[in-house]
This record gives sequence, structure tokens and C-alpha cells, in this order.
Amino acid sequence: MEAGTDYLKERNKEHILVGLSSSPSNGKIIRTAARMAEAFDCPLTAIFVETPAFRKGSEDNKARFRENCNLAESLGADIEIVYGDDAAYQIAEFARLSGVSKIVVGRSNVVQTRFFRKPALTDQLLVYAPEIDIHIIPDKSARTYYDSRQTNSPDILKNVLKSLLIFAGATLLCLLFHRMGFTDANIIMVYILGVVLTSVATSHQVYSLMSSVASVLIFNYLFTMPRFSFAAYETGYPLTFVVMFLTALITGTFAIRYKEQASQSAKTAYRTKILFDTEQILSKAEGKEELLLAIGSQIGRLLNRNIVVFDGGREDMRPVLFPAGDGKLQAYDLEREKEIVSWVFANNHRAGAGTDYYSWSSYMYFAMRVNERIYGVVGIEVNDRPLEAAEYGVLLSILGEGALAMENEKNAREKEEAALWAEREQLRANLLRMISHDLRTPLTSISGHASNLISNGSYFDEETKQQLYRDIYSDSIWLINLVENLLSSTKIEEGQINLRKSTELLSDIVDEAVEHCRGSSGAHEIRVYDCDDLLFVRSDTKLLIQVLVNLINNAIKYTPDQTPIEIRLTSQGSMAQVTVSDRGPGIPDEDKASIFEKFYCGSNPIADSRRSLGLGLYLCKAIIEAHNGFIVVEDNVPCGAVFRFQLPREEVIFHE
Amino acid sequence: MNKVQILVIEDDEPVKNLITTTLKARDYHYIAADSGSAGIMMAASKNPDIILLDLGLPDMDGVEVIDRVRSWTNTPIIVISARSEDSDKIAALDAGADDYLTKPFSVEELLARLRVTQRRLSLMQPENERPAVFCNGDLKIDYSAGCVFMGEEELHLTPIEYKLLCVLSQNMGKVLTHRYLLENVWGSSWENDVASLRVFMATLRKKLERGTNRPRYIQTHIGIGYRMLKVE
Repeated sequence: MEAGTDYLKERNKEHILVGLSSSPSNGKIIRTAARMAEAFDCPLTAIFVETPAFRKGSEDNKARFRENCNLAESLGADIEIVYGDDAAYQIAEFARLSGVSKIVVGRSNVVQTRFFRKPALTDQLLVYAPEIDIHIIPDKSARTYYDSRQTNSPDILKNVLKSLLIFAGATLLCLLFHRMGFTDANIIMVYILGVVLTSVATSHQVYSLMSSVASVLIFNYLFTMPRFSFAAYETGYPLTFVVMFLTALITGTFAIRYKEQASQSAKTAYRTKILFDTEQILSKAEGKEELLLAIGSQIGRLLNRNIVVFDGGREDMRPVLFPAGDGKLQAYDLEREKEIVSWVFANNHRAGAGTDYYSWSSYMYFAMRVNERIYGVVGIEVNDRPLEAAEYGVLLSILGEGALAMENEKNAREKEEAALWAEREQLRANLLRMISHDLRTPLTSISGHASNLISNGSYFDEETKQQLYRDIYSDSIWLINLVENLLSSTKIEEGQINLRKSTELLSDIVDEAVEHCRGSSGAHEIRVYDCDDLLFVRSDTKLLIQVLVNLINNAIKYTPDQTPIEIRLTSQGSMAQVTVSDRGPGIPDEDKASIFEKFYCGSNPIADSRRSLGLGLYLCKAIIEAHNGFIVVEDNVPCGAVFRFQLPREEVIFHE
Repeated sequence: MNKVQILVIEDDEPVKNLITTTLKARDYHYIAADSGSAGIMMAASKNPDIILLDLGLPDMDGVEVIDRVRSWTNTPIIVISARSEDSDKIAALDAGADDYLTKPFSVEELLARLRVTQRRLSLMQPENERPAVFCNGDLKIDYSAGCVFMGEEELHLTPIEYKLLCVLSQNMGKVLTHRYLLENVWGSSWENDVASLRVFMATLRKKLERGTNRPRYIQTHIGIGYRMLKVE
């Protein structure tokens, strides 16, 4: 039942499409559409068909368009920009493909200055998309805003010159043909060719029109009988003139249109390529940094402007800068811009140049977001060079694409973290179980011996008592060591942030560790061989001491009495090396690989039957690696084991 | 029979028992207080020779106890800290404590600290009259001539090393924090200078303790500071 209603809901889901234009009253239409979208609780898309006329249009026109675009976006619309001459067709196609149920357009009274007068957009829409509801909102000022195309005089001069040259060339050729006795048809063809060439070479239809008229007149003047007069004897000539004029004009118009489409499709192809590349790069990028890098550089490629990208997750708001082309980014005043960026982060709304907020800035800032979640802010240098509508559309796509990628990355990371956390919890649970188990033995011995001494103390001879005291003491020392290792292990597992690093002399650390072990060293002699250089390392001293204590205690535990334990400090280039070598039985090769694993207790029988948690060496490795070093175990000559670790040396600059 | 009297300020009963039984076994006189305020009262009324002070007291911060006691007496204070963080030890030492112990500590460690402090106590007697020549084992410092001898041989120290050695010798037995040394040798306590301090201390020790495996004269307390030990 429920599934059924869901299905119905899905089927009846509305999707509203609103036409964007540069009309001042377009805002009213957008607002109406937004209200409808709200009432229907459905998505809203704003579409703009970028025509060649728009690109050539005035800056005012474009600015108005951007205003409308911003408005639509702030009302929650997705912006789509498509290209083409035929706005109605493009809109209808888009509507059909993306499942739009209602189209909201303004009633435009624009009379298109084309050869064939086109019916109104709304009428065309009705023809192209009969199955879609079309809501027409009156748009009174539509006619007044549509300004004439801008042309400037150098352009006119150039075009006129070109047209004249081509025309003169055609006429010369025709004169030659005429002298050679070719027929009129050939001459007409040459003139038509001239008109086509003119329309390709010039930037406006008016030139090919003029060229057509001129061709007909000159043909009449020069080549028809009577020559050198605009009269024509043959009755068929007027028809020839008309046909010639129409043929020239129509081929010319097509050539122009083809040229425009070619340049448009080249641009579109470039933008599509950037979008496609962006998708590819984003899918390959790993981690937030790479994603931001990809987004920044792709936007840079698209716009060829200076770009700054701010990471939403960073507290310090340090941007990544992407200078345009020449590789230099003139001083970006971070302190000044910070306020805008934090405003964008806080309000999830664009700001900076060309917007209502902080318009004094030379940068325009966009929020990279998915729904209400903001992942980053992209700043684009505007500097009185506003973005083109087409660029704008691709930019918004890249931003949306990027934000989605950031969201995916974040989700993946969170999932990974959750998995890691679960694993760590599992480890912790294991650890706890093993510890509780292993604690029982020494605690039983301590409490048993103590209670024995309390209640039966008088029955024991002095030697027995001494033995009991020693057992209590050694068991409690074992517990103390265990607790130290556990504390260090929690510290290391919580990650780098908990390391309290300071720069210390390595030999001081070794001395302290040796001092710590002397009490339990028994019959072993610990020898330290210091290095002549002063070896400084940056480390969490307590953890590093723990490493040495564990290594020394292992050597004490697993090697026969009277054998020496040697600790050697050496300098290995940029690393400081410590070796702890013993003369014991050594580590069998099959154990060498796994000896640093957690809870690994080795296959050799433990000399004094002392329990081992298998935590010590695991911890050593974890600590050394947390300090960007490494630890290995090797064989000593002639017998025994060598634990060798290296840590990066720290350069110390000192003041006298 | 030890004539020194020790004040133990510790609220934790088992640890207090451990300390007092150890002291009793070694024939020390002791008095005990289980709060900071009681401890301050006793320090004032009984005039002990050494104070053992736990930093984690129920009624007030250990550093505050040190501050109050230091307002009228230089009685050596050894602090006992359960926390393994260095910062509270440094705070206690900077407030005027002489030495520190970290829990869990062994009985031997406690007794060793007491012995060091006692020796320091005996040297502290002629307080206003500093001898012109300082002797510690084979080490001899002639303050008036500015010369340092190890046995018969004169050591060639740089001015900074000499100044360091003087500050350490004048505070023999006391743990001096990095900050204290920086302020008294360099006249600054710029954090970055700790590195310089380590370098000079390392070269000084190389000169003092040539060929020995274990530090005899100068003890390093990693992350905290240095101390000159009395050498027999």
C-alpha cells in the first residue's frame, strides 16, 4: 500500500522549468516559478538559451542576466545554460529530457529581425512540447529592453573594406570571363560565390545583403544588354535578378549561421571537454586536498583568471591559490578578503564583486555546496571583466560537481573512520580481555604472599620470608611495567596529536632509560657507547624512553646472566641510530617478521616462565614509526639479537 | 641516629604508611599531615628540616603550599607527583621545590633523594658566606680566579659553560629547571634557547665527565632540567 502511494508520488512528481532572460521583469517570472515550486514542493530549474545575439549584446544586458541568474539561484533553482538559435526548441528539448512537467515563461513580444519572421516563443513552445503545461506570465517591458546590437566603427570599416575587396575581385573575374565569352550563368555564379565569401569573412548579415544587392546591380549594369545601363532588354532578366538576389542572400545567410554555429560549437566543445575532464580528474582525486586542487585548476583552465579556493574544513582559512596563465598571482590580500569568505561560509550565499554583498572586492566568491552543507568557497577574480553567461553555467556545473565529489569523499572518509574505530574497539576489547587474564596471575601471587605473611608470618623462617618479599616485589614491578606500556599504547593509538614532542639529546634519553633498567638488570652489564656528534632528536621523550626500556628489559629477560647488553649511538647521515645488542640465543628467522606484531609472544620458550603480553615490541615499532623512524631486528655476531632503530636527526641552532 | 626531622604531607593513607615506615626503619624523625593547610601549620610550628609534599592534596594545590612555605623559609621541599606530566613538576620546581619523585617510586629512590637533600642541607649552613673555592669530588671551582680544575688538570671552559657550572654548583643537589638556568645564565627565558642550553650542557658534561659511562656530576632530568650531584 505504502509502496503504491510512493510510486504515485514519484509519478506525479512535478518539475518546474523557468526561462531565464536578461529582461528586467524576468525577476517577476522567476519569483512566480519559485512560488509554484514551493507550492508543489518540487525541484525548480532555470534555463537560459544563449543565442549568438546575446553574446554580442551590451554589457548592461549581460549584467541584468547575471542579476536574474543570481536571483534564480538564491530561490533554489538549478541553473542550466544551453546554446542555440532556436530558444523554443532548446527549451522544449531540455524539458523533455529532464522530465519537466511545467514550463514558466514570460510573454515576449520580441520581433526577431530575421529574414523569416518567427512566431512568438510561447507559440513555438506549444508546438514543440504539447504534453507540457506552459504557464505564461505577462512581461510588459520585454520589448523595451531588447537593445540593438553593438557595433563599433573599426569593425564596420574592416568589414566594409573586406566586402569591397571581395566584390571588386568578383567583378574583375567576371570581366575576364565576359571577355573570354563565357555565358551569364558563369558570371552569376561568380557573384554568388563572392556573396558567400563576404558572409564568411564579415561579422554581420548586413554585409552579405549589401553585397547581394550590389551584385545584382553591377551584373545588370556591366553584363546585360544594353551594357553600362541599368535597363535590360530581355524579358527574362528581371526574374534572373530576383533569383540571383535571393540565391545570394540565402546562401550568405546560411554561411553566416554556419560560421556562428561552428564557433559556438568549438566553444561548447571546449567547455564540455573541461567539464568532462573535471569529472575524470575528480573521480581520480584522492583526499580533500587533491579534490580542491582539481576544482581550482579546472576552474582556472575554464576562466583563465586568478582563482582562490578555501577548504571548508580548515580553521585557519588558508586558501590555495591558482594564478591565471602566466603563473603569477598578484598580492592577494587575505586579511581583507577573509571577512567575505567567512561570510560566505556562514550564509551559504555568494558574495564579492558583482553581488549585493561586499561588492567592493575584486573577487567573486561562490559557495561549493550540496544542499545546505558547504564544502568550500571558490573566489574568482572579476576585476571589471564580468563572467560570460556560458562560462557561468559551466562554472556552476564544476562547482556542483566539485561539491558532490567533496561530499562523497567526506562520506567515504567517515565510513573508513568508522571501520577503523570499530577495529580499534575490537583490539581494545581483546587487549582488555588479555590484560585482565594476565593480571590475575601476578595479583594472585602478590595478594596470596601478603596474606600469608600477615596471618602465618611467624611460622616462616627468615629465608622463606625473603623469598616471598622478593616475589611480591618482582610481580609488582611487572605490573608497573605493564601499566607503563598500556599508558604508552593508548597514547600512541590516539594518534600524532597526543605526542608531546620536544628536542632532546639522544644520549640523555638513553641514559635515563638505562638508569630506569639498572634496578632490574641483575647480573647483566649494560654498556653505553655514545656518539661523538651531539645527536638531537625531536620526540615524545617518555615514549622513546619506553622503547629503550622495553628493548633493554627484553634483553635482560631473554639472555643468560653475566652476558653484556650493549647500546650504541651512531649518526647515519640525517638519521640518528641506536642499537641494543645482546649475546643471548637470538631471534629465529621465522619469528623476525612477526615479532613486532601485537600480542605476539614468540615460539621460543620464555627463559624464566615469565608471562608476556606481546605488547612491548609492538609498542616499540608503533612509537618509532610515529616519530618517522623505523626499527628492525638483526642477528648479532657471534650470537644474540640486535634491535636497531633510526630516528630523524634534528638540527639545533644555538645562541651563545 | 638521624637528627633531621621530616614533615610528610600526604593524604593517601597507604603511601603515607609506606613513607613513614621507611623513615622509621632508617631512624628519621618524622611528623605527618594529611592536608595542605595542616601541613603549612606544621611547617610553621615544628620547623622541620625537610618537607615531603604530595602535589595532589584534597584541600589545596601543592604549588600553593610551596608558595606559602617559601614565604618564610628555605626548608628543602621534595614533591611527590602521581601525574606523569612534566608540567606540574616544573611548576613545583619553579615555585621553589628542590626535588621531585614520581609515583610509583621505590623505597631506594625515596631514600636516595633524602640523602641528596641532606647533603645539600649540610652545605647550606653558611648561607650568606659563600666559600671562594668550591669542591665536589675531583671538581674544584675557584670562583675568585674563575678557574675550574678536575683533579690536577685545569679545564678550559667557554664563558657560558663556566657560568652554567657556577649556577649548578651554587645549587648543588637542587633540580634546576630549564627556565631557571636560562634566566640565570643567559638572562632570558626564551623558549628556543632551551636547545642552546642542551648543547652547552652536553659540551660541559663531555669536559667534566670524560671517559665515564654514567653521569657523576651533572644529572639530566629530561624535559625538566639539570642538577649537580654531590660526588663522594
